Amino acid sequence: MKISLNWLSEFVNLPADPRELGAVLPSLGLGVESMASVGDDCVLDLEVTTNRPDCLSHYGVARELAAYYQTQLRPPRAEVHESGEPAASAVSIEIADPELCARYCGRVVKNVRIEPSPAWLAARLEAVGVRPINNVADVTNYVLMELGHPLHAFDFDRIAGRRIIVRRALAGEGLRTLDGVDRKLDPANLVIADETRPVALAGVMGGAASEISAGTRHVLLESAWFEPTSVRRTAKMHGLHTEASHRFERGADIEMAPVALNRAAALIAEIAGGEVLSGIVDVYLRPLVRGALTLRASEIHRLLGTDAAEGDVERILRSLGFAVQSETPGRWQVSPPSFRLDVSREVDLVEELARHLGYDRLPSRVRPAPPRLEHDELRTKELALFELLVALGYRQIIAPAMLDPAECTRFTDRPAVIISNPLSQEASAMRTTAVPSMLHALRWNLDRGQEDLRLFEVGKTYTRPARAGDLAEERRVLTLGLSGHRRPASVHDTARALDFFDLKGDLEALFQVFDLEALEFKAGGCSYYDARLSGRYEHGAGLLVIFGQLGEGCAREYKLRRPVWLAEIDLESLLGRPLRTPRFRSFPRYPVVVRDFALVVPDSIAYQQIAAAIEQQQVPEIRSFRPVDLFRGGSLDHGCYGLLIRVCFQSEVKTLTNDEIDQFGRRILSALHPLGIRLRHQG
Amino acid sequence: MAEGFVAALPSAGSTAVQEASPAERQQEIVMKLEEKVALTLDQLGIRDPASVQRLFAEVREALLAERQQLVAGGAADEADRIRLAKALRDRWLGRKNGLLSFIGEHWLKPAERDLKPSVGRAFNELRQLAAELEVERLAAQIPIRAPHKAAESPEAGRPISAPAPDLSLPGYRRPLGSIHPITRVQREIEEIFLGLGYRIETGPEIESTYYNFDALNIPESHPSRDDVDTFYLDARTVLRTHTSPVQIRAMQKFGAPLYIIIPGTCYRRDNPDATHSPMFHQMEGLAIDEDITFADLKGTLDYFAKRLLGERTRTRLTPSFFPFTEPSGELAVSCFLCEGKGCRTCKQSGWIELGGCGMVHPEVLRAGGIDPDRYSGWAFGMGIDRFAMTKYDIGDIQLFFQSDVRFLEQF
Repeated sequence: MKISLNWLSEFVNLPADPRELGAVLPSLGLGVESMASVGDDCVLDLEVTTNRPDCLSHYGVARELAAYYQTQLRPPRAEVHESGEPAASAVSIEIADPELCARYCGRVVKNVRIEPSPAWLAARLEAVGVRPINNVADVTNYVLMELGHPLHAFDFDRIAGRRIIVRRALAGEGLRTLDGVDRKLDPANLVIADETRPVALAGVMGGAASEISAGTRHVLLESAWFEPTSVRRTAKMHGLHTEASHRFERGADIEMAPVALNRAAALIAEIAGGEVLSGIVDVYLRPLVRGALTLRASEIHRLLGTDAAEGDVERILRSLGFAVQSETPGRWQVSPPSFRLDVSREVDLVEELARHLGYDRLPSRVRPAPPRLEHDELRTKELALFELLVALGYRQIIAPAMLDPAECTRFTDRPAVIISNPLSQEASAMRTTAVPSMLHALRWNLDRGQEDLRLFEVGKTYTRPARAGDLAEERRVLTLGLSGHRRPASVHDTARALDFFDLKGDLEALFQVFDLEALEFKAGGCSYYDARLSGRYEHGAGLLVIFGQLGEGCAREYKLRRPVWLAEIDLESLLGRPLRTPRFRSFPRYPVVVRDFALVVPDSIAYQQIAAAIEQQQVPEIRSFRPVDLFRGGSLDHGCYGLLIRVCFQSEVKTLTNDEIDQFGRRILSALHPLGIRLRHQG
Repeated sequence: MAEGFVAALPSAGSTAVQEASPAERQQEIVMKLEEKVALTLDQLGIRDPASVQRLFAEVREALLAERQQLVAGGAADEADRIRLAKALRDRWLGRKNGLLSFIGEHWLKPAERDLKPSVGRAFNELRQLAAELEVERLAAQIPIRAPHKAAESPEAGRPISAPAPDLSLPGYRRPLGSIHPITRVQREIEEIFLGLGYRIETGPEIESTYYNFDALNIPESHPSRDDVDTFYLDARTVLRTHTSPVQIRAMQKFGAPLYIIIPGTCYRRDNPDATHSPMFHQMEGLAIDEDITFADLKGTLDYFAKRLLGERTRTRLTPSFFPFTEPSGELAVSCFLCEGKGCRTCKQSGWIELGGCGMVHPEVLRAGGIDPDRYSGWAFGMGIDRFAMTKYDIGDIQLFFQSDVRFLEQF
């Protein structure tokens, strides 16, 4: 809302330095977006919140300032010199739908001269961003900007039957509005009609046929009150947003209707000549009835944390147009004015006081929440997870949750939650899988020359509920996406491409943090993974991790120019696990003996089987073992591979002798024997 | 068959099962070196001078390490000294089976013409180094003592001519990951409120119109409910447009008193551009108790801003309007860059808008099952993305969601 300070000063005395208003108005809730000099005037652009349509006018803003500066508010002149026949005999007004139109006031001005507005009026309109048209139309706009009440002027000769009927549009009716657009009307639209057809879209825009033109002799002025929701719906339906609809939507001042009408009639008589017929035709079918509100000093204290002086309470509310009656000390009956539809509760009155006492002058204190014992374990786990992933070199991404539903079905058959009004088909479903998001992220980077990628996303997948009305299932997932090298090339080592075991190792680190080291690995991912280079881990009844190299077909579809690796981790299950709780175990005082076993293993035997066979022996003296070398070819027979296993032997109770270690070694070898495994240098 | 295994154990004289003492692990490396010298450079995949240098450096290192180990290990007596020194010399300089003759035979001779000069140079350096493996001089350096005792100083055994490594080379870095700026900001805010004893609450992103609008005192006719602004799944389900529905859910779940913060993803039907994203993140704070007043709102937010942006930060609260709070306010903080003097970040105003706040509307408390005559509360909401943009000077909100590593690596 643009406010001219010259105009404003007609209603209230302004401070000598207008820049002061740049701080005062925001402190009252009227944000100042800009302040500009226009000739000898200064124009402010105010940001008015939707609950304060009364401040969409110079007079309304002046009221706030008068209350702030504790000074007089001067209402505009509106004495009308009436003459001739009563307006009521010249025009008949009927409200056929009182639900949508609570009041309709009309005046008739005869024998006007339509010409351009005088310079002072045109200048004011231009200052606040309104284009002058002709004197009569300009007056309606002038009063709108001054008092905030939308008016409309009809060419009275074009009103068939000299009758105004406020009704809903009939099916099939149309109207060419002032902007020259032919509009099909809907029965949801409230219209102003004459005897034969609609002449205006109520509260939104007038019709072209009854527009004030150079030839207009007589004018019918409308000042009405239309139901906000109906105006909003109609404006939206027709894609129109006008100064009038803007105010009616937010709630106009029903008592202002005749005041604004008089002000406009007086101005028209002044600048366009003409005779104002006597009387207002005022059809007021649904008078506004509002009860008084009780205001208690105790409630002021309870909400603001301070007491307000009784004098301040009454002064502030009265200067804002409220009627205040003191009941007992610390208790008032307050009647809000008709232009303050936003005030309907005691707390709303408290806000008025807070605003005018000044938010910056109210007390301030910091008080922590009462102590509680419970600890946010989930957060601790999340922090541990993030810390690990960062240490492992992963960068967190946040990916859009909306995808093309067809893209999701490539990866899962879970039913998607579909958005009924999406911005595009590509973002019309909540994703049922996070895989496409990660693939998009990898591709984005590969296409931009970023090749060493380790990304992670903690996000949700969404599944349509089985029963309509239930909440959708939102499940948190962790997704890893990798491509490129293990470490970038340097003088210290040659760069080596990432492989399956880099990813598997990272997952093992994750399991370590969540105390899941006993998980069993199963080879094979799912359809979109490379069948030879993928696998899974299950935990309890469900799948915990599925991971591996993305299959070739899928990589082609996503135009991924490098091999990429993915891991999908069910975060809910993972975070459902406790973090590993360390407990110290004193290390045995007896020495560790390390021995390497060079094994020849048939190709059909996987390491997992070897490990299981050794573990099954349950020899406590076998502290640990791990594979340290794997090789093929050379002197090894075809169909076999060489595996070097390093075993650490240690007893908790004694120093192991060579004989004992040999015995453990034999147990290991005999456990492996059924698998067809033998020592290398031995027949 | 078990007999056979027994035969393979070291006690039976086999090397197949090894007790890998440190010395023997050293031998493992030498074994590998021996495997390497049996191959040509081409077979080793070494085709450029830099790799040649690296390979020879490895060999030199091995030589020095062996020599140092020999010296550090000590000898039992004079004869032992000579024997050890001789063994090392033979390993490297042995006429037929010395490592150097293998290197000359397999690496130097068949080297490609363009690689030959660098191989030659490196080989010569290695020969000079190896020439120092003179039996008598070497033996003199081996102290006679118990073999497991370490040398007095590791420096002692280092030959003077060994080239010192270039320590000015950059370190061998493990690439670190990074946390998304939105998460970073979210965590910072969480820490502040956790310090005040608040708890973190979350809720569904796919939300009913009841929780997203009705319970928050947003009337049926409110413009924010338009399908122009809100994503609808059906008439009664939306993608939540703010984190405020979690206020109601938490009130219903925990009752009063309640001190929570609510981080989360929200959605509004804005076409993506530099300052709008259909998906964004909010953080909300809520305190409900007996005796919560506007003073708590002011004080807590002032404390929050100072913790977030520095002690010198000032806060400004101006009246505003939200359907779910009354009185309502807009929180601005003095610009953390110019401290209020006016700069690009604060658009010359000296102030940065942080978010909206207010005293919880009685109807909202009632919807949450809390008696508004007994309890009062304050609420605060801010855009995490918006704040992260200001804090890190990010001009385009889309950068948050593109996953571009060139962006991510800056955080």
